Formats: sequence, C-alpha cells, structure tokens
Amino acid sequence: MKNDNDNSPWDSAHGARHSSLYVRASHKLMSSPRLLVWVPLILLFSSCSSDRTLSPISPSDVLSDSSLAGDVLEQWSPYVGIHLTGEALNAYRDAVLTLRAAGQLDGVRVELGRSLSPSDPTYRAISATGVELLGLISNEHLFLPNIEQEIDRIFRAFPEIRHFQIGNEVTTILPSTGPTLTIEQYMTIFLRIYDHVQSRHPGRAILLTQSTVGSGFHGPTELAAMVNLGLTRVDPSHVIIAINMYDLDYAGQFVGLLGGQLRRFRLWVTESGTRDQSRHMTWVRDQYPRLRNLVRAERVYWYVMWGGDSGSDTDFSLIKNPSLFPDYWKSPLFELLTATR
Amino acid sequence: MTLLFCLSLPAVGGTQELLAGGPDDERKSGTYLQTGVAHGQGDLFSPNSLTQWDVALFGTDYDFVSGKLEFESYFSDTFLQLSGFSVGYRKDGLRRAESGHMFSGSLFRDFDVKLFAVKVGAGVEWGLPSLNFDQTEFVFSDDGIVRYRHTYMHRNADIPFLGTATDGVVYPFVEVSIVQRPWFLLFEIGIRVGSTRFNFDDFEVDPTDQLSQEFHHQRILVPYLFADVGIRLF
Repeated sequence: MKNDNDNSPWDSAHGARHSSLYVRASHKLMSSPRLLVWVPLILLFSSCSSDRTLSPISPSDVLSDSSLAGDVLEQWSPYVGIHLTGEALNAYRDAVLTLRAAGQLDGVRVELGRSLSPSDPTYRAISATGVELLGLISNEHLFLPNIEQEIDRIFRAFPEIRHFQIGNEVTTILPSTGPTLTIEQYMTIFLRIYDHVQSRHPGRAILLTQSTVGSGFHGPTELAAMVNLGLTRVDPSHVIIAINMYDLDYAGQFVGLLGGQLRRFRLWVTESGTRDQSRHMTWVRDQYPRLRNLVRAERVYWYVMWGGDSGSDTDFSLIKNPSLFPDYWKSPLFELLTATR
Repeated sequence: MTLLFCLSLPAVGGTQELLAGGPDDERKSGTYLQTGVAHGQGDLFSPNSLTQWDVALFGTDYDFVSGKLEFESYFSDTFLQLSGFSVGYRKDGLRRAESGHMFSGSLFRDFDVKLFAVKVGAGVEWGLPSLNFDQTEFVFSDDGIVRYRHTYMHRNADIPFLGTATDGVVYPFVEVSIVQRPWFLLFEIGIRVGSTRFNFDDFEVDPTDQLSQEFHHQRILVPYLFADVGIRLF
C-alpha cells in the first residue's frame, strides 16, 4: 500500500497545542495573500518527481537487514534470462543448480538462435537441471521466407520446450545496418506462425508475443499497434502477452490495454532489472510488486544471469567472470537468493 | 489538510462579523484562484468497498494526499439555479509524477446559512488516474496453480498526445462543502465523491496453462476530503 500521508489529518491534540501559532501564522499569511497560493503550489510541484526511491544497498546491508532480505525474497519471481554461451557453461550449471536448490528458480528464458543445436552443451546443461524453459525464437528467424517450416524444425529439435516467444524488441533491437522489421511486418509473421501452430501442432505450444521495449511510450503504443493489427483475433488460451520493463513510470500506459482489448490475455514480463548491482535488491522489492499490480505480471524474468557474453560484464548480471568457475563473482542479489535460510 | 483546516478557523470569526454588519451581507461575485489539499482512501478489496465510506483511517488499500488548484467563479446572481462554476486540477499521490493528474469542471449552487455558505456541486473529472487504484493480488499455490485478481479503474478516455488511446478516465462526481469568503479570501472544506467504474478480473492458470477467467465490474464511489484556500482575482 502506498501511503503518501505521514500525519493523521485529525490529530486534534497537535492542532490544539499549536492553535495560537496557527492564528498568528494565518494572520501573517493573510497579510501576504499571494503566499497562500504560491507556497502550496511550490510544495506541490517540487514534490511531484518521478519515482526515484531506490537506494543503493551494499551486500553487507542486505545480509544484515533481515527486513529487506525478507521483502526481496517475498517479491522475487523465480525466473531469469540466460544468454547461452559455452564459456559460462560450468558457472551456469552451478548457478542454476544453486538457485534451484534454494527454491528461487523455476524457469529460464533462453534464446534459440538459428545456429543453436539442441545438443549444445550449455543448453543441455541448463535443460538437465529440470528448470522450465521459455524459448525465445530469435529475431533472425523472422526473416526466413518459410517460417512455418522453421517452426516445425524448432518444435522437433526442442520437444522439452512448451513456451515459445516469437521475437524480442523486433522494432528496436535490430541493427540498422541489417534487415529490420516494422511492427506491421512482425504481426503478419506472428499471425502466420500462430495459425500454423494451431493447425499443425494444436496443443503443442503456448506462444508469447515479441516483447515491446521497456521504457517510454514506445512499448505501450507498439502493443496498441499490435492490437490494431490483429492480435486480438488469437485465442488468449494459446498466447501470452510479453513486455520488457525497465522504466515503470510508463507501466500505467499498459493498464488501459490490459483492461480493454487485451483483458483476456495473460502477461509475462520477460526482462526487468537494473544496471546498478547495488540496487538489484531494492529493484526486486519495489518494482516487482508494481509490475504485478499494474500489468498483472504472472512472471518477471530477471535480466540477466550473465550479460557479458558479447563484451564486458554488465552490472545487470547476477554472476560475473564465469570463466573463473568455481570462484566466479556473485551479485548481492544472487547471494541473498541462495543464502541458507 | 490539518494545517489548512486550522488556518481556516480564525478566518471564520472574522467573516461572521463581516456578514452580520454591512454590505458584505449579500453574496459576492468574483473569480477565485484556489489551492488546497485533498485526502482519499478506501478499501477496494473489502466487501464493503468504497460504496460505504470507511471511517477507519488506517489499514486501507489505497491512501493518498492530493494537491489541488482551481479557478472558481461566483455569479453576481443565480443563473438557472446555479451560483457559479469551477475548473480545476488535482494531483493525486504527490510522490509520483507519471499518474494521478485529474482535471475537473463543475457547476455549483451555494446557500447562505449565515455562519457560512453550504455549496453543492456536480461535475466531471478527466485525466490520468492514480496508479494506487490498480492492484493485483496473486496466490501461487504449491500445486503450480496461479490465481490472481486484478482490480483497476476502468479506462474509458484518451489523453491526447500521450501513449495509448485508453490511458485516461472520465467520470462524474458530486461535491458538498462549506465556504467562507471574507474580504478577498476564500476558505472551503468539503467532500467530493466520484462515481467510477472498477473492473475486477479473476484469472486462474494451472500448470498445463489451462486458463480460467471471470470478469465483473462495479461502479464505486470514491470520496475525497478536501480543504482549500483562495484569493479573489477579479
């Protein structure tokens, strides 16, 4: 519950104790009538800042603050995104098993690139932990002329996966130097895949839409465009809406869609997190409940287990330096989630 | 609110004197710039909900303080049984800038009861509602079944130039207040009650993704207590 009121408005004792002060103050204010207007206005607008209540928390703070730890564990959603890369195989296996043993990991989101083999050691290692897999069919697949045939191949290759996401941030993540997609083109492809899956593989898979980018008005307006391009003609029992959410100031823009044309659809947040590792815990504590409240997110996938596969380590990561296994670095959030309770 | 309420107390005495003594006996015309605070709270999940004003000040589902800015114009004479009109802006939930921006327009009638005037009005509020009204309760069962209820204010209006076409709300309200207008000042305390549609969406998802849903909605009264001060512009 958000309580913006720090004082009881009916604190009569307080009022009586200071009544003479109020009388003097009121006379003074009445002698300067403009103050009656401007002072409250200044206070009003100066207090209207965006939500920036997150505060840095050090690892020692977390482990010593049982209240914060309890709040984080209560709000945590046991889902994480994992970049498949061989150099992190042992660290991934260890991290996933450790999180699983702590009861803090039920599912992971992995990208199924065109070159990924089902026998890929890292993929197999993660799959062997028993964790539920959300397969992200990468954007590069969407340019294939016979996408239906590719879906057949993917379904055969990854029989253990039931949830497949069709692309990710398709209008914003593709480099301008290569082929790009408009949302209109994407929806045409998505509906082709949906129709193919329902006709050729009924009951085989639940599809997730591409995740709209998670900050600003772009995400909500793009999802609205997807609605206008035919998203609502699919069966909500077979499709889940996906969004990435890094800036919750705009999450309210989804509420109208989710209460209107998308009212019957489920929603998963497939990426959320913060680049500042000292704020990982407060992100989970403060933003995860907002995601649930505002967009009724059944799941929130933390971005990311390790984001350093394409360059330097990113502070979104729950672990770093996986090549140093078994002495790889673990974030304070990871430490908290896997601490023996 | 406490401060403004107390600020208004010494002014009441002064006004009584004016009303009893001279040319200010007659209701004055004028346009006022008002500012003030409001307080709203309620329990959306309670069976009683907001349809019954919850006098318990704590332990409620939403609870926020609002800031107000209004222009209020009093006619020199009643016109079609009306004493004046008001347009205003209210910021619900002062800690978040992205939501809780409500604009209003209303018509009112005031009745002089000597000590003060009783003002009764009605109008429409439109804007981006506070996200404090949007709540979801999840239950994750050990058997893998997920149940949740999403409760939210029904979006039925567009906020132009911003985001999606269904990001705003518009709903009617009624308002009752007592008003003092000594000299060039105005003091007012009262209650505004909006009549808003809330949706209650229930979902149940089993481990095989079997989806069950049940939706219903209800028009709910959302009350605000408010206290304003103002100065006459002309």
